[in-house]
Amino acid sequence: MVERMNHLGKAPLIFGLLFLLAFPVIVFRGDDRSDTLEFWIFAQTHYDEFSARIPAFEAAHPGVKVELRLISKLHDKLLAAFLSGIGGPDLSEVEISSVGRFFKGTKEEIGFVDLTDRIEREGITDEFVQARLAPWSLGGRIYGLPRDVHPVMLLYRHDVYEKAGIDPASIETWDDFVRETRPLARDDDGDGQPDQYPIMLSAHKPGHFWLMLLQNGGGMFDEDGGVIIDNDIAVSTLEFYCSLLNEEQLAIPEFSQDPASYAAMKEGIILGVLAPDWYISFARRFVPELEGKWRAMPLPAWQEGERRTSTWGGTMIAVTRQAENPDLAWEFAKFAYMDDEALANRYRKTFIIPPIRSAWSNPVYTEPEAYLDGQVLGRSLTELAPDIPGFHLNPYWAEANDLLRQAVYEAANGIRTPADALSHLAEQVRALRNNTAETE
Amino acid sequence: MKPRYAPYFFLAPFFTLFTVFMVYPLFDSIRLSTYSVRGMQNQTFVGLENIERLIADPLFWTALWNTAYFAAGSLLLQLPVALALALLLSNARLKGRNLFRLSFFSPVLISGVFIAVIFYLLYDRRYGLVNRVLGSEIQWLQDPDLVMPALVLAGVWRWAGFNMVYFLAGLQSIRQELYEAAAVDGAGPWQSFVHVTIPALKPVIAFVVITSMIGSFQLFDLPYVLTEGGPGNASMTMVMYLYKHGFEFINLGYAATIGWALAVIIGVISIIQVRLFGVFREN
Repeated sequence: MVERMNHLGKAPLIFGLLFLLAFPVIVFRGDDRSDTLEFWIFAQTHYDEFSARIPAFEAAHPGVKVELRLISKLHDKLLAAFLSGIGGPDLSEVEISSVGRFFKGTKEEIGFVDLTDRIEREGITDEFVQARLAPWSLGGRIYGLPRDVHPVMLLYRHDVYEKAGIDPASIETWDDFVRETRPLARDDDGDGQPDQYPIMLSAHKPGHFWLMLLQNGGGMFDEDGGVIIDNDIAVSTLEFYCSLLNEEQLAIPEFSQDPASYAAMKEGIILGVLAPDWYISFARRFVPELEGKWRAMPLPAWQEGERRTSTWGGTMIAVTRQAENPDLAWEFAKFAYMDDEALANRYRKTFIIPPIRSAWSNPVYTEPEAYLDGQVLGRSLTELAPDIPGFHLNPYWAEANDLLRQAVYEAANGIRTPADALSHLAEQVRALRNNTAETE
Repeated sequence: MKPRYAPYFFLAPFFTLFTVFMVYPLFDSIRLSTYSVRGMQNQTFVGLENIERLIADPLFWTALWNTAYFAAGSLLLQLPVALALALLLSNARLKGRNLFRLSFFSPVLISGVFIAVIFYLLYDRRYGLVNRVLGSEIQWLQDPDLVMPALVLAGVWRWAGFNMVYFLAGLQSIRQELYEAAAVDGAGPWQSFVHVTIPALKPVIAFVVITSMIGSFQLFDLPYVLTEGGPGNASMTMVMYLYKHGFEFINLGYAATIGWALAVIIGVISIIQVRLFGVFREN
């Protein structure tokens, strides 16, 4: 064997030396990267936006380089970097449905830099819609700047409403909505199922229920971490939600944000959608045929005079504790999220309203939108934005959210009553907390 | 350098990386399964509590049942389909058989996520091709009784062509004289298949069955994208459940326990199959 390898000459030695050299270089990268900012993002649209703006930041900070990385499965990789203590970026965006998993354990274990003092020092705390800081905060400390507000409106087919003689202004509460839109849920072919539905509510995913619950003043946890998902507000909200799906048959149950739902819109099967700002740009992109036929109204309130909006989705930018130069990273975070003109450009493409009040005076938010029959969408959204509900993040958020999916499915499909489903859910979340407390 | 050291130099990179990235994590996961992990660093020794919890966890049994269902579906549906395709496409008289072979093989070249998106559209109640062809309005992915059969069918589409290639290779290695001898003895096509083809293919069948079972028990991407484990938990698989605890709930101790339970189950099933097929037996 050994003799047979003689003809290989010095190759084994060279490969061996290369490996020995490469290994420490990879593992112990000792180069000074304090002038380089690595920034992780998860969406192509964000990549396009930031890659166009980074040269301006680099020009204003000579010698600084920003490495923008579009990362698939960003949240898993960021978490792995936090768990191992190496390999993380200086800054990262985090999506709201995944943020709970980063807030496990003690305050010292959180992988993000506490930005509270910096935000206060800059005097920008009041600039933000206050409810929008809550999802990125734990124990009164803020760990990220919000990218958005995502106020929710009701997108409705105003041509159909007009034909049916429904005045959208007469719909102030959810009870009004049921009464006024009931005639729209027609069964033309006599198969016992409506052929068109005034609203789309998922019987399998919790997103629509969750935003209606928030609008109604409910939530999963109160500010002290107490479980409130089985209180009267939650039960009555889920009962109403299920009645729209089942008894009233006003809501089409099978879609959430599926591609097929856009086809159902084109065919006139879906006449209304709970639509955050970003969703309206999705409708413009995927259902262009309905240009001029949609309009957006504030959500019907639960009681007259109460909140007419909710919130759905969201993203933050955070500085990680692995950042070599947190001050520079903080400067970039502000640059990325707080520039008026960039925010206006973002609105043009996505309808996303920024969480910074002063930015709303930009004329872009008073432009009429052709897709919504000339409605001034920006004005409606910015009027609703300050009123969005907040919610309290909690270390058990990820588990509770997962269990919520099951509870909504069971209630919407008649497996349990709404009260039963929520009481079972609350029991599980409380047990989760107690089990954890025992082992800690 | 003395020549006798050369092999060690060649092998060193592999063994170093294997030790760092495979052996160490493997043993550390055993340690981890005896801990309750909360947060990034906080670990508390709990002994066998995670195993007790696993046995009492109804969702674990649901995930195990769903995974076993998929594995059984693969075995009973996918492998016969793969074998039938191989028999058809090994026929020299079939025109364009290379094109067919490539077509049936090609799904395996596509990423699982993309396949899930395709099947999401195919299975749609109103607009999906499956319901259009059947003239039905079946909720394939929303009905808890139908979601697993729907996943099995997607699995057949994805993997049958891949396993077909193994069977094709096996069929090509069967000596023609065996068939000629069988024909001389008066055997018809069915008898030749049962008494010549199947026994000669036994090593290939054993390989395909064992690797398919292992792959089926590791099912993740298809249900993760297609159903998110739903409706309810009707399509939750073991690896999805492991992922949820490991990466969503940061419950690494429990995730390690699920991982080891999965490894033990796969190990036991593989040993039984190896024995049944007599894989390592002489002759």
